[in-house]
Amino acid sequence: MYVYLYDSFLEQRKYNGIVKTIENRLTDYGISGKILRLNNFTDAKPIIDDEIKRGATNIVIVGNDKTFGLVLSRGAGSNCVFGFLPIGVENNTVAPVLGIPLNEDSVEVLAKRRKEKLDIGLVNNRFFVSQLHVLPSKVQVIYDRKFKVTAADKMEVVVCNFQPFYWKKDKKDKEVRVVHPQDGKLEAFLRPLTKSGFFGYKYEEPSIFPFEEMEIIGESAFLVETDGRQTKEINLKLKLAKNKIEMIVGKNRMF
Amino acid sequence: MIFQKQNKQNTEEQEVYIEQTNRETEDNIDTVVGPSVNVEGDFSSEGNIIVKGTVNGSVHTSRVLSVEPGAKIIANVRAGSALIAGEVRGNMKVKESLELASTARILGDIEVKILSIEPGAIVFGKITMPGIEGVEIKSGRRSKKTEEQSAEQSDEYLG
Repeated sequence: MYVYLYDSFLEQRKYNGIVKTIENRLTDYGISGKILRLNNFTDAKPIIDDEIKRGATNIVIVGNDKTFGLVLSRGAGSNCVFGFLPIGVENNTVAPVLGIPLNEDSVEVLAKRRKEKLDIGLVNNRFFVSQLHVLPSKVQVIYDRKFKVTAADKMEVVVCNFQPFYWKKDKKDKEVRVVHPQDGKLEAFLRPLTKSGFFGYKYEEPSIFPFEEMEIIGESAFLVETDGRQTKEINLKLKLAKNKIEMIVGKNRMF
Repeated sequence: MIFQKQNKQNTEEQEVYIEQTNRETEDNIDTVVGPSVNVEGDFSSEGNIIVKGTVNGSVHTSRVLSVEPGAKIIANVRAGSALIAGEVRGNMKVKESLELASTARILGDIEVKILSIEPGAIVFGKITMPGIEGVEIKSGRRSKKTEEQSAEQSDEYLG
């Protein structure tokens, strides 16, 4: 049995057409099911657990990167298969990594049911699926309990799981650079900042470290953005939880 | 109709995007130590390593190690292959080839199979290369036997 978790943004008029086409295609393939609409403050975990108790075997996330992050960060570890139907063009960077085309073409991938067990990140014993972003602050990073990375001043840390990280050298830089997630490892992207002038900071050239275990220790509390949610932390322990999610993926996936 | 047109465009755009990203991942470099970053400890990686900053401790990779001009490694190094244009203070053990650029400064012993040194590179240490086995180098007086052996070997090498 299929359960579809719709994001609240799909209620906007401009998505009506796409959603209808998708629902028609799902009926054609014979995989239509129960539709649940998520709100901004809905916790996905109890919903998924309830539906699994009622016999659901497939939970399909319908939305964008944010929906994907919000649902899987709570729902990972549940005993079901996850699917993803990315809607819209903006804020959909995870879908190409999983080999899922955008909008109604994604139904075909869902119908084919190519299942793959995926690794996800664990941050202080909570799951994160798309990206973790430590905003510029004075931190030091310890990798795999083997080596320590420090910078003279502030440092920005980005850890990619499924979501690639897009960045520019500075404001004038026209070329958008990408850090792609890899399989079997998390990818940490470090950008130190140096003071330039009285007020401003300048980004230095980045460092990239693939890792399985990492600890971020701050001199004082620092801001962290995990799957679109901001928290303040002083110590972060990141790990890779292997084969934690069973997910329906496309042929063109990047791992 | 409007939606259909847009969707066609979207899929085309996405195909191009996937192609681009696939190409980019092929060129991706595994580990990069940036210029203003300091690494301390046993730094090891299964992939290629590019060092632009400072590394203290030890460096180990089974693949290519590249040390950029201005970078500094104060550590013993073990690598599959290496390309050095910065400074290395420590012993180096390279399995395949080692290239020293004109800006390279090595303070330590080198053990390598294939070595190439650009004019201007500075090396202070012992270089050992496999290929001439059984040669004993002694600083003091040499025995008659070893002298005879080395004479024979040098004759062989000269043809």
